[in-house]
Amino acid sequence: MSKKLTRRDFIKITAGATVATGLAPAARRVVIEPFVDPPEETLPGQATWYASTCRQCPAGCGIVVRTINGRAKKIEGNPLHPLNQGKLCARGQAGLQVLYNPDRLRNAVRQSGGRGSRKYEPLYWTEALDLLKEKVASLSHPGRLAFLGGLMPDHVYQLTDRLLAALGAAPAVIYDLHSTLEGRGPAQQLSQAFFGTGDLPVYDLAQSDAVFSFGANLFETWMSPVAQSVAFGSMRQGALSGRGFIVQFEPRLSATGASADEWVPVRPGAEGFVALAIGRIIVEERLGHVGSHRDHAVLYQNVDVGEMSAASEVPVDTLRRLAKAFADADRAMAIPGGYLAGQQNGFASMLAVQALNLVVAQIGRQGGVFLSTPAPTVALRNKPRVNPFSDVLNLINRMNAGEVDLLIIHGTNPVYELPAATGFAEAITRVPYVISFSPFVDETAVWADLILPDHTYLESWGYQVPSPGTDRPVISGQQPVVRPLYDTRSTAQVLIDLAARLGGSAAEAIPWAGEETYLQEMITGLYGSSLGAFDARTSAGFWTLWRQYGGWWSEKEIRREPEITDIVQKPLPMSAPQYFGDPEEYPFHLHLYSSIALTDGRGANQPWLQETPDPMTTVQWGMWVELNPQTAESLGVGDDDIVLVESPYSALEVSVVIYPGIRPDVVAIPIGQGHQDYGRFAQAVTGSNPLGLLAPVTDPDADSLAWGATRVRLLPTGRKKKLARLESLDGQGRESIG
Amino acid sequence: MNRLWLFSFFILSVVGVVVGILMTRYQVLSAPEQPIAYSHKIHVEAGIQCLYCHSNPLRTDIAGIPSVKKCMGCHAVIATDSPKVQELSGYWERQEPVPWVRVNPQPDFVYFSHQPHLGAGLNCETCHGDVGRMTVTQSVVKMDMGWCLDCHLKEPQPKATRLADCLACHK
Repeated sequence: MSKKLTRRDFIKITAGATVATGLAPAARRVVIEPFVDPPEETLPGQATWYASTCRQCPAGCGIVVRTINGRAKKIEGNPLHPLNQGKLCARGQAGLQVLYNPDRLRNAVRQSGGRGSRKYEPLYWTEALDLLKEKVASLSHPGRLAFLGGLMPDHVYQLTDRLLAALGAAPAVIYDLHSTLEGRGPAQQLSQAFFGTGDLPVYDLAQSDAVFSFGANLFETWMSPVAQSVAFGSMRQGALSGRGFIVQFEPRLSATGASADEWVPVRPGAEGFVALAIGRIIVEERLGHVGSHRDHAVLYQNVDVGEMSAASEVPVDTLRRLAKAFADADRAMAIPGGYLAGQQNGFASMLAVQALNLVVAQIGRQGGVFLSTPAPTVALRNKPRVNPFSDVLNLINRMNAGEVDLLIIHGTNPVYELPAATGFAEAITRVPYVISFSPFVDETAVWADLILPDHTYLESWGYQVPSPGTDRPVISGQQPVVRPLYDTRSTAQVLIDLAARLGGSAAEAIPWAGEETYLQEMITGLYGSSLGAFDARTSAGFWTLWRQYGGWWSEKEIRREPEITDIVQKPLPMSAPQYFGDPEEYPFHLHLYSSIALTDGRGANQPWLQETPDPMTTVQWGMWVELNPQTAESLGVGDDDIVLVESPYSALEVSVVIYPGIRPDVVAIPIGQGHQDYGRFAQAVTGSNPLGLLAPVTDPDADSLAWGATRVRLLPTGRKKKLARLESLDGQGRESIG
Repeated sequence: MNRLWLFSFFILSVVGVVVGILMTRYQVLSAPEQPIAYSHKIHVEAGIQCLYCHSNPLRTDIAGIPSVKKCMGCHAVIATDSPKVQELSGYWERQEPVPWVRVNPQPDFVYFSHQPHLGAGLNCETCHGDVGRMTVTQSVVKMDMGWCLDCHLKEPQPKATRLADCLACHK
């Protein structure tokens, strides 16, 4: 301070402060606002807990939400729900910030300044629905309507399916980045190939004592991470036979890999070779305790362990040691994860991994692979199936060729979630009219003429058959925990209203007056089932209990043993990994991965999730590229240096994190940041969408996007941008906050 | 000179504190201005019980302010020509809550629940005064800690000890 405080000033300030303090209480005026129209079942100041279903990812965990004075305050796992058993992940906890997000659309809007103008004009719902009806009714041919969806709640999918069929339009094309990264489509096909059903198998982690996870990030985002984490707890605490062990095969050490006992950094795309080699060693050396391996010899007749070892860069000794450990375990299990599906030989790798379960006879056994039993839930199991990637490309071609007049989008953000190289962003401009149901203005909704914002999940009705399921039939029920905050409308209700306005076959296919009646009718099949965890005397009572429990499930465990198809009678396919980009020019494999907090980017608009430190690098509110220390040294870059990551398609600038848990020939970037739209919190983080780097190559066997098969090069820029990190990884110190 | 200044500042700060205390006291016991000039007297004389509008003190911490819907339950048909009631229906038509001003505010560090007090047999008037005669609602007592303890300490032992425990109210 330059000016010296005089005695006089001091006294003046003191006197002033005293007067102000003395007078302060006099200014206190507390306003109490009553409800205009109070919700039922609430007492002021007392919490009411509503059971519902989380929609932050497609797993379908049960939640209970504490509400006070009609406001949702806290989300917890539903302790009765058999899937997540009272547990919930960070994303589930953050769901309140979807509800209270300041960037939500508050009513139906039309872009008044043309598409992409981001100028919106509010519409009354009657007008909006009339407009929707007019657009659907005025199509010259129903084939000119396209519906692009993400993994929407099952009841919305069923209504969509009925409506599109009644209109004579093509079924919805289902694509979203989350299911692509977890390899849901290929996993469904794998199940088809092995067990003759599209149901995803359940991997009995809890009772297994040796788990070989091939690129499955079990405790982060893959399939049902909360259920898998609960099972991991039981497995480690050894309910059955002491502490089980996990081996993780992947080029970059994920948070799951960090929880494993051993990390095997395999060459990207060569995971299948490791599985083949392990299988071959078990069969050839008659390891383990299952008796004869004669039946399986045919699977591995073309496999050469030495070649596999060289191709995967895993030493033969390691393979032999692992094979022995796997075969000797009482209940071993191999899991084909999402990372495998991201390669051009993904399906072959997944087959090789699943075959290991056959070799140790763990299919349909405790601690192995089984299927969930549908029991009375069969009628509700019309689920959105992830479409082959060629369907998505086909749709883009049709849009480009002017064969689509009306595009309706729900629950997916393709402009962000598809590699830029597929040209979706340009194709959407060729469609005369685009309607989005997104509650937020995301990158795709910006290109919509009309946005009919859906409720957020805490305001919505619905149900969801979890897939993969669990050891018993389960349906998660969803109900509003608060009244809708704004003038939004559930998409299911919009579809019902649209059908009524269209009349004819559409109205016949969707005869319900409202979403609630529709749901009540759909679940009547469950009422009276002797399996249920609760009993009701009347169907009205059943509806009440359904809402109290947050769904319906069997009281007892019922597992279904899969029937193995004739796949066991042929040698397993062997397919070398292929990468896009010349290895001389582009020396590094680009490893994109799903962020544990933001998943595929849908969490980027929630500040709690942005604030959550990444478990491996502890970066918050940021985007980075992970380099092996050796790679960083050869490039002459260090932590926080900006590098240009360049693929044959595009380039982006990003700060470096030196990370020892990655192969030197691999660089990793988390997915989720780089939003151009999607609200203030998503846009607050500077960066580019890493999907722009990807080549639109596919795995021809599973017809899925090979998002892990692009090569890149790195160029130091000489600039620096400091990342916000909770801790450093350099071993220099263990500083934390502050 | 310096001494005089010091003295006047001292006087000024003492006056400030005294005025502050008096004003707080006055404000506590005065009637805050309400968005609608509501009269409890009219309603009580019409035979309406406290619990009809403030319906929760037997069940929960808070007595509760009636929802706009509850007001309109009667005022959709009763006294619709009164300007005050028309103000009320304005809120209802706009679907806005009426921003009532609290008459008996408690600081955030005080835990208070109506339920045990009613359970102990107190009636509303004991603390809130004869609200049924008030055209303008105001506080009749300064609800400070001394006033709470006045009653709590008069209870028989061992209840008095329990009720005088800090954590009874500051938790």
